[in-house]
Amino acid sequence: MKENREERIASVVLIVFSAAYLVGAYYIPMPIFKQQLGPGAFPIAIGIGMLTLACIYAWQQFRGGTKEKETEEEIEKRATIIGAEEKIEKKADLKTMGFMLVMMVFYAFAFERLGYAISTFVVFMAGVLYLDRRHLVRDAVIAVIFSFVLYYIFSVFLRVNLPAGPLKFLEF
Amino acid sequence: MDFLGQFWNNVALGFSVAGTPFNLLLCFVGVFLGTLIGVLPGIGPMTGVALLIPLTFGLQPSAAIILMAGIYYGAMYGGSTTSILVNTPGESSSVVTCLDGYQMAKKGRAGPALAAAAIGSFVAGTFATLMLMLFGPWVAGIALNFGPPEFFSLMVAGLTVVTSLAGRSLVKALFATLFGLAIATMGIDNQSAVPRFTFGNPELLDGLEFLVVAIGLFALCEVFVNLADMKEAVQERLSIKGSLWLTKEDWKRFVPSCIRGTLSGFFVGGIAGAGAAVASFVSYGLEKKAGKYRDELGKGAIEGVTGPESANNAAAGGALIHLLCLGIPGSGTTAIMLGALLMIGLQPGPLLFTQQPAFVWGLIASMYIGNIMLLVLNLPLVGMWVKLLDIPLYLLTLFIIMFSFLGVYTMNNSAQDLLLMVVFGVIGYLMKRLDIPAAPVILGIVLGKLMEEKMRQSLVISDGSVMIFLNRPISLFLLFLAVVAITNPYWKQIGRAIRRLFREAPAR
Repeated sequence: MKENREERIASVVLIVFSAAYLVGAYYIPMPIFKQQLGPGAFPIAIGIGMLTLACIYAWQQFRGGTKEKETEEEIEKRATIIGAEEKIEKKADLKTMGFMLVMMVFYAFAFERLGYAISTFVVFMAGVLYLDRRHLVRDAVIAVIFSFVLYYIFSVFLRVNLPAGPLKFLEF
Repeated sequence: MDFLGQFWNNVALGFSVAGTPFNLLLCFVGVFLGTLIGVLPGIGPMTGVALLIPLTFGLQPSAAIILMAGIYYGAMYGGSTTSILVNTPGESSSVVTCLDGYQMAKKGRAGPALAAAAIGSFVAGTFATLMLMLFGPWVAGIALNFGPPEFFSLMVAGLTVVTSLAGRSLVKALFATLFGLAIATMGIDNQSAVPRFTFGNPELLDGLEFLVVAIGLFALCEVFVNLADMKEAVQERLSIKGSLWLTKEDWKRFVPSCIRGTLSGFFVGGIAGAGAAVASFVSYGLEKKAGKYRDELGKGAIEGVTGPESANNAAAGGALIHLLCLGIPGSGTTAIMLGALLMIGLQPGPLLFTQQPAFVWGLIASMYIGNIMLLVLNLPLVGMWVKLLDIPLYLLTLFIIMFSFLGVYTMNNSAQDLLLMVVFGVIGYLMKRLDIPAAPVILGIVLGKLMEEKMRQSLVISDGSVMIFLNRPISLFLLFLAVVAITNPYWKQIGRAIRRLFREAPAR
């Protein structure tokens, strides 16, 4: 396994996280009535485990990668087993990801204030405008269907409570 | 005679539950959505089940699990379609199908490949369900004798088996599992009413909502993965030329590989509890060793499609045995299903089998029905599914974002949950970049509270002595399994070291 600047930074972050969790676990108070094993025991065990693993990980990274214990082929065979699909080696398009991240955070904040319909429409259109503008009309129609029409379906037919925002006057 | 009598009673009960129009509809919706999810690249069954959990709110538990099981099975079927036509696995258990399936498609034999996958999946799924019917009650009966120490060790074993198979690095997978357990400790401790890691936030008193983490870690993470190279994404798709049917020659080769795949898949998924993806790899390996036409593997041999596809469906059925009889999920997807059932208020496990026969047998019956529906959906209608692959990726991504927000918000009407979900989406992406697998995290979250509870109960029984886990035979055996699972990657090394020791010793 190769060494990797990203992974080195990551291993340090994981050590810090594990340590923080462990400290938090240590400070969990004992309950009023004495118990065999207090609420802090399990977290402390987990914290120690995580810290140990993070340190091993950091050690692996900082001394230049692990020795080849198994052939690449065997590792690949085991790797695609549960959820570890292709390793992301290519450079990531940070601008696009960053934009969508900002949109998602906006979506989270606007969901209640602007209501489901408006915020969904805004986020959807922003996404379309940024990612692929070739079919604006078609996509705008889709956006309207999924925000306003879906809102109608959910609140009237399914009786699901979605925030209406400033469109409250339209409430059914 | 009693067993048989009981058996038929249960079957009748099951079909009466599964046969209600509403449940039939749900079964159909489930397998339909599942196939959809399996076909669409970029959403795997774990993400799909997580996204569709909100649909199960307000449903009876039996209806909910019929829906989810349908989705699970459907995804197994649908994943093979993209593997064969686009050389992109729909999910991890279809990776192997790409190898020979795509080759067959390139040679103009996409039809037979798809047919082999669908029929093989059907046979295997039916077999697994049959096994569940025959042996489920027996397994549940054994598990009824489990006390807290046995349950604890069972969960440890389940966690370690999944962990040892997840991803390239054991260290990272173990860390992921512990991370999941750590998340599970957030909230008020059940046994002492002490708040843990709640940061003074009243919404966190119940801990992090399972769905928030699941959807963030899987669905939103996929969104970021897709966004990372959206602008360059190009997908080449092959069309289905020629007939859909298998020739006589195909059938002769199909049958043995289907049988091998089914049996090996059931063993791996049902008995070892290792999951559908492992099963598909094991089956491919088996075909390489035992198949008559093994030299053709990799160039378009039909065994390379039939074996793994049968295996992964058999394993999925087997994983459901684990889930229902023992209450321990054997794979990432069943872990999510367990989380969903817990949310509804059900505790899967041996007690469920005896106390809620309608639930369990209704599910079993609907699995049969679902299998048949899937065969119909996947053979003649495969052309329809293929059209779906034409949806542009950016639209798909936006849909996923929308459904994620919708689904998570309807849980608790909490905007804070939405924000947390986005945070976990980022965490999920970072984890993917670092090659830290996400499935153990989910497993840890789902099992965490129960595991801690059983551990503490055990220590109360034993008055604080840890030996209780080792003194009881079943518990000891399970912990031994756990050790075996964890040391698995290092066996070669250990073997080498031992041999070296023996070689040097006599020269004294």
